[in-house]
Amino acid sequence: MSYQYPAIIFLIPFLTAICMPVVCRKKRDWCRPIALAAVCAMSAAALANLLNVLDVGESSYVFGGWLSSSSPAGVPIGIEWVNDGLASIMVVVVSLLASVCVIYSGPLVSRSLGTRVVHYHTLILLLISGLIGVVFAGDIFNLFVFLEVVALSAYALVGVRGGKALMVAFRYLILGTLGASFYLLGIVFFYAATGTLNMADMAQHLADNPQLMTSKAVIGGATFMFIGLGIKMALFPLHGWLPAAYARAPDAISPILAGLMTKVALYAWVRIMFWVLGAGTEIGYVHVLSLLGVLGALAAVMGALLALSQQDVKRMFAYGGISHIGLILIGVSQGNPTGFAGGMFYLINDAVMQAGLFFIAGAAIYRHQAHTVEEWSRLRGASPWMTAALVVLGMSMIGIPPTGGFFGKWYIILGAMEAGNYLAVGAVVLATLLTMAYFQRLFVSVFRDSQASPPVVRVETELSLRLSVGVTAVTIIILGLCSDPIISFFRNTASSLGL
Amino acid sequence: MFEHIELALQRPHYIAFVILFVWGLFIMVTHPNLVKKLIGMYLVQTSIIFLLVTISAKQDATVPILQGNDAVLAAGDDVDPAEYANPLPHVLTLTAIVVQVATLGVSLALVTAIYRTYGSLDEDELLKRTE
Repeated sequence: MSYQYPAIIFLIPFLTAICMPVVCRKKRDWCRPIALAAVCAMSAAALANLLNVLDVGESSYVFGGWLSSSSPAGVPIGIEWVNDGLASIMVVVVSLLASVCVIYSGPLVSRSLGTRVVHYHTLILLLISGLIGVVFAGDIFNLFVFLEVVALSAYALVGVRGGKALMVAFRYLILGTLGASFYLLGIVFFYAATGTLNMADMAQHLADNPQLMTSKAVIGGATFMFIGLGIKMALFPLHGWLPAAYARAPDAISPILAGLMTKVALYAWVRIMFWVLGAGTEIGYVHVLSLLGVLGALAAVMGALLALSQQDVKRMFAYGGISHIGLILIGVSQGNPTGFAGGMFYLINDAVMQAGLFFIAGAAIYRHQAHTVEEWSRLRGASPWMTAALVVLGMSMIGIPPTGGFFGKWYIILGAMEAGNYLAVGAVVLATLLTMAYFQRLFVSVFRDSQASPPVVRVETELSLRLSVGVTAVTIIILGLCSDPIISFFRNTASSLGL
Repeated sequence: MFEHIELALQRPHYIAFVILFVWGLFIMVTHPNLVKKLIGMYLVQTSIIFLLVTISAKQDATVPILQGNDAVLAAGDDVDPAEYANPLPHVLTLTAIVVQVATLGVSLALVTAIYRTYGSLDEDELLKRTE
């Protein structure tokens, strides 16, 4: 039974998504309870899987009972899923966050989407199952297929409401497909060079034949893969699709896109970087990790700068997310366990923070029709839940203890100091200051005491909105207080990778 | 320089791939018409599948089903891998085509919805109207 956990976690949302249009064709009210039950069951399975992995150690799940990379014959034929510590933690993050997103979306969906609730719930469950697949995939081609499952549901979700979002969805589709094509091209190059698609087997091939690392096929393949995943994770110069897509997407959908899509693409790159290529890789005389560190520093600073210049709050948060992708890249690219642990811990925090901020942004639009920074003054005194959560999440985005964001940044900076990389330290500090600046604008707008404002009428938001906003805010504090075991867990992961 | 050209000319399918890929990319970037952008996108994806097929081509190889009578097969040692084509790239190709078709389906649905809403497929005009 415990061996089957990965398949069970994947199949729950996937089968529910397939049955949804049939079951709910006549009874549209059933969508939400069914989707909620599915994500809750999936979260329970994910937690059981995490406990199991912590208990008995990592395992691999091989579809159809074909040979795997760990079997004695040594030639993997079938598709393999890796169920190790990092993957099981990520699966828990994905499934819990997805559950909160489904809880949150209730009132927004029924108001803004009308008859399309069936489509919405089907697509969001497909998206979640695709995310699970990306996290578990132990095979680069399988990873590509799941990335496309995620991406196709995301394009449809962005455009589900019609109107102005359609054009944004189309642009997102063009750029996302270009990214996927680049990634596929990278797979072709790697396959031509090594003759295998299984990650563990490919790593073995590359380690056995060091001359491959200077061959044009591997150099080209790694570059194309990185560009492809870079578009998917919205790394700074390749981020063009992201702000408009997040800002124009229906409010019920932005949180799950912002919280999970880019983070999972980054996770996929971490998998390929550390599990396939190896930590100390030089590809074509370029030390890959140093290059990633520079790109991350650029993204961290530029993302925060662009966020500072935005008027629309959702856009501001979207650029904040781009900046944080850079911070995570800085962390994982320091080449020491501290930085890696900090980066991965920040990845989890960022998923929660981004989702939480877009929850608040969506609720502000839903309740107060507040789109821009100035309009956010309507929140003052009217929605204590949202304001309190905004303060907590803002503290975490800036990096003030005891929130999770502080500890993530702390370990990233410690890692950069350990590596003697002061450019990275400077970039993190500068990004932090810029983050503080744009949150300052928001806080000023919400808390400024002006005589001109009319007396506020307290309108309590729906229970599900309050619940989801509160849960993310509390989670970010719990993550901060429990950072120690998580960090040491990631440190062990990093040491086992030879960092 | 000369040997590079010679090497490239020995592998004309790489040249064909590069031409198709860049052509598709060019159409995607330059054409204002959304459907033509999709044609460019399709060309890019197809060129990658083309590359995958051509690198797996093998001369004098047959389908990967063991040839010969049962006695030969039972022995198992007489199987010469050089006689059989590698089925994996073809399977990858099939999967990539399925992904491509799904992408095309979603994109055409989006284009149809855009046309129904705005009555135009010209990107410049659409951007003017949605800003």
